[in-house]
Amino acid sequence: MEKIIEINQLTWQYTDTDHPALEDVSLEIEENMFIGVCGPNESGKTTLVSCIKGLIPHNFIGSYKGEVRLFGKNIRDLNAQELAKYVGFVFADPEAQFTSMSVEEELAFGMENIGLGSDEIKERIQWVADITGLESLLDKSPYDLSGGQKQRVAIASVLAMQPRVIILDEPTSMLDPIGKDSIFNICARMKEELHMTIIMVEHTLDRLARLSDRLILVHQGKIARYAEPERFFENVGELLELGLNPPASIVFLDQLKQAGLYDGPMTTSVEETIEIAQSICARKEAIK
Amino acid sequence: MTDVIEVKDMHFAYRDGTEALKGIDLTIKSGEFIALIGQNGAGKTTFAKTLNGLLKPSQGYVKCGGIDTSQKRVIKKLVKEVGYVFQNPDHQLFNNEVRKEIAYAPKNVGLSEEEIEERVTEAAAVAGIKEDYLSMHPFFLPKGLRQRVSIASILALRPKVIIVDEPTTGQDYRQSVEIMEFLKKLNEERGHTIIIITHEMDIVAKFAKRVIVLCQGKILLDGDTKEVFSQPDVLAKAYVKVPEATRIAQALNRFGISRDVLSSDELWDQFQSAISR
Repeated sequence: MEKIIEINQLTWQYTDTDHPALEDVSLEIEENMFIGVCGPNESGKTTLVSCIKGLIPHNFIGSYKGEVRLFGKNIRDLNAQELAKYVGFVFADPEAQFTSMSVEEELAFGMENIGLGSDEIKERIQWVADITGLESLLDKSPYDLSGGQKQRVAIASVLAMQPRVIILDEPTSMLDPIGKDSIFNICARMKEELHMTIIMVEHTLDRLARLSDRLILVHQGKIARYAEPERFFENVGELLELGLNPPASIVFLDQLKQAGLYDGPMTTSVEETIEIAQSICARKEAIK
Repeated sequence: MTDVIEVKDMHFAYRDGTEALKGIDLTIKSGEFIALIGQNGAGKTTFAKTLNGLLKPSQGYVKCGGIDTSQKRVIKKLVKEVGYVFQNPDHQLFNNEVRKEIAYAPKNVGLSEEEIEERVTEAAAVAGIKEDYLSMHPFFLPKGLRQRVSIASILALRPKVIIVDEPTTGQDYRQSVEIMEFLKKLNEERGHTIIIITHEMDIVAKFAKRVIVLCQGKILLDGDTKEVFSQPDVLAKAYVKVPEATRIAQALNRFGISRDVLSSDELWDQFQSAISR
């Protein structure tokens, strides 16, 4: 698959800080991947995705070394319209993104700003409303919706611009489990059906681990780990030391491995872990 | 243990007629650590706000420390009984100095300058807010510390019960554990009754001793944490999933692992005993 994001030896330091927020970061992201980004607060996760979106260096003051390339082009050479075409950004607090008094107007806002015609805008509104389940809410005020619905509006308004990459920065931190599931389901659909690249920053690892093709662990401004979930969770002890809370099924599988009861690959599936544990118990029972 | 809160056949309806709470009956005893759970819209925050008189029942009653919250001019007494910490500390903090923020409520209930100073010092110390921070602007502090400032501003009134709405939202795992350990300390060492509202079932399993599950304005389950989490089918009605370690334990129940396991450590201990039996 094509490499669409290339970060080469990137170091970024905000003005008035005494150490870089990102230090000597290099990584590549291929098209149509679901990338999960995790790490403790203040580790550099939001800074990293802001560099991919081009918010850094375009909208922040600081010292920038190295380069970020989007679809082969240096991000410093891209203007706002080109950046919007390539990458959309969804914030943790959807209200921070709202500008309109109805969901329909909210969805149209970005498209009007890039000069799309009214027929095209109407078509795309129907399209994103269908994908994100907002058809019956188009005439409501976005401020009157539930947390999950608000976040769906924020995603839909970005999706309507049809970017190739969507970055979501802690999109489910304010949602209940049903709201979280709905956002993860929409992101999975955007990847599978629209072949988009999804980059999602999250604190809680359970859903993220199960949907991501690869996970990035950011720690103290550096990429501490970047791997497929099976390899990412190979050293659970180290992840715990770094302040992460791996899902209980992964901790349990790691304990089985450490005890020599299982030597297969790591899995993020709870069902598979249960099957593995059940077969160990059944084997032990048969021996007795 | 004495009852600190008594709720009897309590209903609450918003002005548009939406009945958010439909007949709540319960008592809360001094020193309990309770988690209030349920999906959004189940009535959790509405219920919590009836406990400190922010909302008045439309039927039935709520008594805190024996005071009926529906009575007039009781708010100054009620704030000494029940404190409510908002989900987002930024919705609660408004002063330009941490010291003023903590002093605000004691000042409002008419305490003397001397008493206010004593309360500020005490609340800051209990909440782990260093002297240096007292002169700072709360909005320049990291979120974990802002959360502590909002709790300290409630502690300054020395309420018997502290309700914390979503204490771990937006915090990483270490910060979440830190804030929960702090609430545990308030509960165990200072005797405060703690009520948390949360969607984080791992946090509930680790810290709460009693769980109240709300579903469509009614209590679906109310009991010991282990007892509540051992009923996944009932919890599913409220769209609540048991913690993952509990789910694995329940799937291994036929091999002798109990259904009420609450943590990874407990699961591993029970698994080891089960296979070595």
